[in-house]
Amino acid sequence: MVASLTRRFGDLDLAEEAAAEAFAAAVERWPADGVPPNPGAWLTTTANRRAIDRIRRESKRGDKHQEAQMLYDDDPPEPLGAVDDERLRLVFTCCHPALAMETRVALTLRMVGGLTVPEIARAFLVQETAMGQRITRAKAKIKAARIPYRVPSAEDLPARISGVLAVLFLVFNEGYLATGPDSDPVRQDLTAEAIRLTRLIRALLPDDGEVAGLLALMLLIEARRIARVSSSGELVTLSEQDRGTWDAALIGEGHQLVRERLAARVAPGRYQILAAINAVHTSARDVRDTDWSQVVALYDQLVQLDRSPIIALNRAIAVAELDGPQVALAAVDGLEDKLAGYHAYHAARADLLRRLGRSQQSRAAYDKAIELAGNTAETAYLTRRRDQLG
Amino acid sequence: MQYLFSVIDDTAGLATPEEMAAIDVFNDRLQAEGHWVFAGGLGAPIAATVIDNRGEATLFTDGPFVESKEHVAGFWIIEAADLDVALKLAAEGSKACNRKVEVRPFL
Repeated sequence: MVASLTRRFGDLDLAEEAAAEAFAAAVERWPADGVPPNPGAWLTTTANRRAIDRIRRESKRGDKHQEAQMLYDDDPPEPLGAVDDERLRLVFTCCHPALAMETRVALTLRMVGGLTVPEIARAFLVQETAMGQRITRAKAKIKAARIPYRVPSAEDLPARISGVLAVLFLVFNEGYLATGPDSDPVRQDLTAEAIRLTRLIRALLPDDGEVAGLLALMLLIEARRIARVSSSGELVTLSEQDRGTWDAALIGEGHQLVRERLAARVAPGRYQILAAINAVHTSARDVRDTDWSQVVALYDQLVQLDRSPIIALNRAIAVAELDGPQVALAAVDGLEDKLAGYHAYHAARADLLRRLGRSQQSRAAYDKAIELAGNTAETAYLTRRRDQLG
Repeated sequence: MQYLFSVIDDTAGLATPEEMAAIDVFNDRLQAEGHWVFAGGLGAPIAATVIDNRGEATLFTDGPFVESKEHVAGFWIIEAADLDVALKLAAEGSKACNRKVEVRPFL
């Protein structure tokens, strides 16, 4: 409803307020007057009237008032698909590249996900007032700079979709590896919301391979959520997880999406390759059945698209399973310049050094990883591993 | 809708002949496509004077109102339907003048 009002009135604040007023009116009137035959239409009509009243009252601009009146009076009832189109427009507005990344995340959760400001503030460990201001400022910028409320043109669409997916992946990752000493290691509210929104985008853009890839990736990671943290709150690595606790339904859906993308025979983007890597892992009933050559081959493909040192690090970890820890360590050591401040770099080195029997160096690497890690379950795991060194 | 494109410069140098030529091509395009309102290059910040006549006496201060490594070296005022159009033009403007560009909407 907010999406539809925004399109009509071109004003996020107004749309939100009108929608809230309509719901308040429903709460007040329905118990006394009875629920109307079409509650959805009643709410929409009421919200539209409230929005027009508000414009009239504030008489912000004569032309806007007229425009709204015109739109309201002449608009035929909307076809079913129109609601989806409007949500999609709203997504692209909230994820506009002229907004800061953290603002895009907050605005998407608020306007598309429907989370409240206190909920978003809690999710990102910031003060409610600060989060409220961030969202207010973003809405003011959208209005003042005239950030358009529409689906981008075909030529801009791929870049803009990748911007939307980056926002959703960020929300998912913050849930999957929550940071902060007082935070739960896995924030299921955030992973679930990211998946819900990605499903929505997939419904809106069913032919986009990267949207399908990101959804598959999220599902295949989410499927292992329960196995990832032990009862004592410690991270359980992929090789040590109880694979019987993985969610078979989510894995099935993820695998189906990956197969669908393979059948499309279009060169895959990074999310599709990451999903394929996760599909290989989740296809193995036992870690010893993992097709590591396939994993490394997929990482080789990914490295061509994404030169990030983090991808190179993950490739090296897979190489350790195929060619042994010595070869992998050489590759990991080559990343020191870029990753010295990243806990996973030190954790990977620590593990490889341990497997090579170089306990003293391994201990130093664990120390460094523990110092840098922000996730409570990860810190607990690394500490135990370090303390088990001979 | 009008937008101000401020050209942000962190060098003391003027535009090179190549940059000037590219700016001319960009300006022609702005005019041909109906985006052009006005544009100009500015003298160096050392040429600026700040005037404050809010009190009893008129105060003149030598130099720009804020000292910083970066300064506004020029500007465009353009007409565009929305920010997406403006951002695309600004990206081309930045390429043409080989400097950063700030986009700001007029009220």
